[in-house]
Amino acid sequence: MGVYLLRRVLVAIPTLWLISVLVFAVIQLQPGGFLENLLEDPRVSRETIENIRRQYLLDQPVWVQYLHWLGGIVRGDFGYSFLNSRPVSELIWERMGWTVFLAFLTILVTWVIAIPLGIYTALNRYGPSSTALNFVGYFGLATPDFLVALLLIYWVLSTGGTNVGGLFSPQYIDAPWSWAKFQDMLAHLWIPLIVIGLDGTATIMRQMRANLLDVLSQDYIRTARAKGLAERVVLWKHAVRNAINPLISLAGLQLPTLISSTIIASIVLSLPTIGPFLYDSLLNKDQYVVMALLMLSALLLMVGNLLADVLLAWVDPRIRYE
Amino acid sequence: MKRRVWLIAMVLLALGLGYAQPKVLPAYTSLGVTTGKAGGSLTLSLASAPQTFFYYGAIDSAIQNLTNQMFDGLIEYNLANYQIEPALATRWSITDSRVYTFDLRRDVRWHDGRPFTADDVVFTYTQIVANPEARGGDAANFEGVKIEKLGDFRVRFTLPKPAPAFIHYMRLPIMPKHKLLPFSQEGGKPRAEINNAWPTNVNPEEVVGTGPFRLRSYTPGQQVTLVKNPNYWKRDTAGNPLPYLEQLQYLIITDSQARVAQFLAGNIGQINITGAEFPDLKRRETQGAPFRVVQFRALFGSPPHIGFNYNAKNAELANLFKNSDFRRALQFAVNRERIIEDVYNGLAERASYGVAPLSEWYYPEVARLQGRFDLNAANAALDRLGLRRGPDGIRRLPSGRPLEFTLTYGSNSAVFTAIATILQSDFQRVGVKVNLQGILAANLLSTGRGQDWEAILLALGDQPDPELRTPIWKPGGALYYWHQATQPTTPTGQPQFNNFLPWEREIYDLWERAASTTNFTQRKALYDRWQSIVAREAQVIMIAKEYAVGAVSNRYGNYIYSLGVIPGFNPVPLMFQR
Repeated sequence: MGVYLLRRVLVAIPTLWLISVLVFAVIQLQPGGFLENLLEDPRVSRETIENIRRQYLLDQPVWVQYLHWLGGIVRGDFGYSFLNSRPVSELIWERMGWTVFLAFLTILVTWVIAIPLGIYTALNRYGPSSTALNFVGYFGLATPDFLVALLLIYWVLSTGGTNVGGLFSPQYIDAPWSWAKFQDMLAHLWIPLIVIGLDGTATIMRQMRANLLDVLSQDYIRTARAKGLAERVVLWKHAVRNAINPLISLAGLQLPTLISSTIIASIVLSLPTIGPFLYDSLLNKDQYVVMALLMLSALLLMVGNLLADVLLAWVDPRIRYE
Repeated sequence: MKRRVWLIAMVLLALGLGYAQPKVLPAYTSLGVTTGKAGGSLTLSLASAPQTFFYYGAIDSAIQNLTNQMFDGLIEYNLANYQIEPALATRWSITDSRVYTFDLRRDVRWHDGRPFTADDVVFTYTQIVANPEARGGDAANFEGVKIEKLGDFRVRFTLPKPAPAFIHYMRLPIMPKHKLLPFSQEGGKPRAEINNAWPTNVNPEEVVGTGPFRLRSYTPGQQVTLVKNPNYWKRDTAGNPLPYLEQLQYLIITDSQARVAQFLAGNIGQINITGAEFPDLKRRETQGAPFRVVQFRALFGSPPHIGFNYNAKNAELANLFKNSDFRRALQFAVNRERIIEDVYNGLAERASYGVAPLSEWYYPEVARLQGRFDLNAANAALDRLGLRRGPDGIRRLPSGRPLEFTLTYGSNSAVFTAIATILQSDFQRVGVKVNLQGILAANLLSTGRGQDWEAILLALGDQPDPELRTPIWKPGGALYYWHQATQPTTPTGQPQFNNFLPWEREIYDLWERAASTTNFTQRKALYDRWQSIVAREAQVIMIAKEYAVGAVSNRYGNYIYSLGVIPGFNPVPLMFQR
């Protein structure tokens, strides 16, 4: 296992390098740039732009810029945000806490709700409650998250509620942690959890249902039942354990969504996450921020995949990496 | 007796120095202002997170908003009539529109207790505003301006040539020298270093101003909190210290619908809204919701216009666009009344060029010269230009190609999208085919300053003095984007006069004369003449000027609309919580 892990990490290095070339190339290809946007303001002169260009090495050939950027990354320096005049890593770090918290909580809630529902709908295929759950599932898949957000906000408002965005009421944002602040957070948190999690819940629920139905029709399940095993054992020990395997690979792919998948929902709900920050940086062509976030997203995808593979080996005794 | 005189003298001296010179605000009864009570807190919103806490370090609406509450300029505007009033300067003298001498308010203290003096003013203008590398500076307007300290509370600006509108630049926020010296050239740093002052992770204690509120904290991506400056130099008419409010909170909410939702939920005390959002909020108000929706005519704000590219790549189109008869013909097909009714819900009025209808500079004849919506007149005028209709109803250019062009507009703005659609359908009715091209509203100006466009729907801001918008309206200016062939080939060069149209030459001369005329009546006459020419020639087709609409919770009194980002116009110190 140790050797396998080492090999995977070593393979990741050239992959990341290729991704860095790609990311850099994509950013270079976009027309205009942050500095061109600055020119819009009559107060900014050509001279100012040229000075900033020199300051950030933007007057150098492309490959020099690339090597400079790559060299920085190797040393842990992701460059400088033009927009904020601050190091990129600081800015990302400031927003990382809530982003990670929300993402992991959403993933957790998604799984805790979706797996049992998937099992339930598989076992009661034609029951009215399963049909209703499937309908909700389809609804969740088909509705864009920002629309769900707007509908929920509208609903909260029309029932006289006040928690319509953000993670806290204004008076608690800067307050030290207290029981009241925690309660206030819970009162706000359910909207983003539904908005961000609905799509994932529906996907996993339907996946789980399909997998379980597949497994339940296998010969070994019939054999287990024929042996006279209790239905509980058949279901949990034989069927569910096998049905859940593909979902673990799926979970690995969820890590990069930490950054990118909740942009619009986060804007609509004014969440202090990386999504709106990435969106702003893209609009303003704040290239070092965009490149850092794209690299981070790629890294998270690879880490997620690796974690999923390790987890699979742990869950499924048939899978061995030697 | 002698002792008593001595005592009186002492008291007068103490009043003069110790209690300094608070500014007592006008009563503003016409705006419904009453005496408020101290205390309470108000939550407002910012559309984006601040990029810095240093006003001159970025061009960023969030810090512009915050700076208005934390800093002051030498002058400010009267909230009712926009006349210039004393702020950090108590009085001034202007000689020949060229030498401006300011007496500064005594005993104003920075938020950290240090005294405000002429050194701060000189530092702000020489090291920051006139610094060509300060991203939010204004070096171009301070080129060749000599700035001197004439004592602790007196400064003098000597201009290379007369500039009657220069006084308006004196509303720029004054910065503390004792905090910013280490970032300046005077402090031994390269000029660009000033942009690194006060980044968003700065210790809030460092950000000191003279304004009504001071920075308490910033939670990234969520909120900025300001608290009352107890030593602020303004008083209300009754002599009570301002501001009334104890605390200002700014929630960072990017999405405009989310802002409205937060307002309806009572989490935000006041928001600025658009005409499009007006009916819903007004309906709720009449149904008894605990807020008021208030409309004001606005001096500031950006009325949209249609710009035609006089130098369009398609030579046939360029020739038409350059022809005043063609632009006038199309102007007949611009249904301003419908746009005002349907798009702005009636909350807009006819617009002039660069000055609001409310402004003293507005020339009332503009509306008449712009004409009314009249499709027959449009058709007749286009016929006269020899643009005959083809079998499909679309007119033909001399080359036989159909008369069609692209209209670029901001697709993420509900207002622009609706206007563009109305224009498209009305132009179609006079045989002109318009293809709509939506881009991000934020990119409109940079697109307009490029060459890749034919017609564009763009909005440029109005200012209290036309002189302040010289780069837009004076032919050959940096923002005279619709006729780029007039612009100089080098940044400091002369405009290309040989490419001027005759009427452009005329308005160029008017602007030259106005810039060095100091008498108000004469300046007004020149700018009236300018407005009549550009309206007559339909230089660009002005559409409408939106009213300013704001909504405020009933918990607050003394609400006066403010765009928020305009230096020198800040009604917030008068607001109070009931």
